[in-house]
Amino acid sequence: MRLLALHVQDFRNLGQVTLAPSAHASIAVGQNGQGKTNLLEALYFLATLKPLRAGRLSELVRWGTSSARVTGRFLLKGAEREISVEVAGGVRQAFVDGKKAASLEEYFGGVSVVAFTPDDLEVVKGGPESRRAFLDRAVFNRFPAFLRESREYARALKNRNRLLKSGPVDAAYLEAYDETLAKTGARVYARRRALMAELAPRAQATFASIGRTPEPAAYKYHPAHLGDVDFASADEAALAVALKEALAARSRRDLDRGFTSVGPHADDVTVTLGARSARAYASQGQQRALVLGWKIAEIENLEAAMGFLPLLLLDDVSSELDPERNAYLMNYLAASGAQVFLTTTDAGLVRGAAAQDTLWLGVRTGEVTSVVPVQEPPAQAQHADEPA
Amino acid sequence: MTPDPLNRLVAQLAKLPGIGEKTAQRLAFHILRAPGEYAQELSQAIREVKEKVHLCARCFSLTDSELCGFCRDNRRDERTLCVVETFADLMALERTREFKGRYHVLHGVLSPLDGVGPEQLRIKELLTRLGDGHVEEIILATNPDVEGEATALYLTRLLKPMGIRVSRIAQGLPMGGDLEYADQATLAKALSARREL
Repeated sequence: MRLLALHVQDFRNLGQVTLAPSAHASIAVGQNGQGKTNLLEALYFLATLKPLRAGRLSELVRWGTSSARVTGRFLLKGAEREISVEVAGGVRQAFVDGKKAASLEEYFGGVSVVAFTPDDLEVVKGGPESRRAFLDRAVFNRFPAFLRESREYARALKNRNRLLKSGPVDAAYLEAYDETLAKTGARVYARRRALMAELAPRAQATFASIGRTPEPAAYKYHPAHLGDVDFASADEAALAVALKEALAARSRRDLDRGFTSVGPHADDVTVTLGARSARAYASQGQQRALVLGWKIAEIENLEAAMGFLPLLLLDDVSSELDPERNAYLMNYLAASGAQVFLTTTDAGLVRGAAAQDTLWLGVRTGEVTSVVPVQEPPAQAQHADEPA
Repeated sequence: MTPDPLNRLVAQLAKLPGIGEKTAQRLAFHILRAPGEYAQELSQAIREVKEKVHLCARCFSLTDSELCGFCRDNRRDERTLCVVETFADLMALERTREFKGRYHVLHGVLSPLDGVGPEQLRIKELLTRLGDGHVEEIILATNPDVEGEATALYLTRLLKPMGIRVSRIAQGLPMGGDLEYADQATLAKALSARREL
């Protein structure tokens, strides 16, 4: 998969942007608040139909205009396809080769991106909901059907919560929704488990080479409050039974509180160093290296599963990594052969990912222009290690 | 300035689902220009559908008499009953010409989010109807989405203790369809529910 051309119109602060990305690295340089991240987000939105940052769809439309549009010409499995997405009136519409896409599945066929932002670097330290979102983005990249499956679960959950809040309820009615929630939830469990089984060993191996830490890392997903079912080996039907039992066991408490207290929406990904919680005990540098290990694992895993590398979007990540880990990442990107978009305030930080064919872009007040690469400064060998 | 009667017709037509202002205008002009009695017949058809069509007293499908055609037809098997969400679903099943039993239309699905509970559906009427002991099997043909699934499960809970055989329509790939056109969730489900030959 390769992005051959990108056209952005009235997206966030970007007016009109047309560019022909490099087959490898394209690097947008600019000060903060100029629109670098918006350029990446346009690409992310094109590939996933979801904004990279939280907010309403209408916020994607440039102030004073009525619609935003992002169009990409991709080389997909040997054929050129044009996909585009338009936001108008708070609604998005996807197009494939100029025709409205009948389904999201049709639209997503073959396009895949992995985004990496400074927010991601905080995911080990942050709350469980950010780790769940982080996990589910990876699951969706790997298993596109997960988009619909997770929506079904969310809908069943909303229905059950509404039922719990509505006060005294017919037992059979609640049980019917328990069972629906258990079935859709078991699918979410199974998808997350399948992804973690592929990803965790790769992430642990990557961390071993960048962590500068003797203790091994472990990334684990285990459902909370699910009783004594053997999560690693139980089939989906057994998971559904276990979740249904857990829901029944907690129904009184759930009715009191007005929300569902067990299920995939209440789970967490645990990351440990040695046997200790990385959230509580790892240094900031180690926490970020743990995320970096995960992200690289995600890229490699997608390549192994799909046979091609996803498009990589890195938003100003380098400034948040220490020099040695940044160098590792830049070398990894250069060696991977992947098509990459990077943003940075300081071109020097990402030069390791650049080559002859790099497209350098300058971003200033929503204008994106092609610029001549900055001359290589004398090599700096000094890498300060931050205290653990 | 367009004449007011024309504006009124356009405004009414534009309220129909799937009809925008432009299409409404085209339809209105078509009605205006159509020969002879067309407009008469159209308005009479609209009036009659409202005056004469109502719910069947037994199965709650649509009819213009006390009982609908499906309930009156003695050749249909009264031992099997197919439960559907809407009259449109009933018509879809009827087009197959496969099902020879009778129907029951719920007029919706259980959806706490939309404020629809068991009392808003024709569930009590279904249970009353089963009192005569003729029905041996109930086929639950609600949609395979979250609410349809929950409704089927709810009905199962009520019907099983009554000693009635309850079945659920299968889901999977469409017949004669290409695998390549199936959406990923359907395909994934079909894969996991595969059977040995």
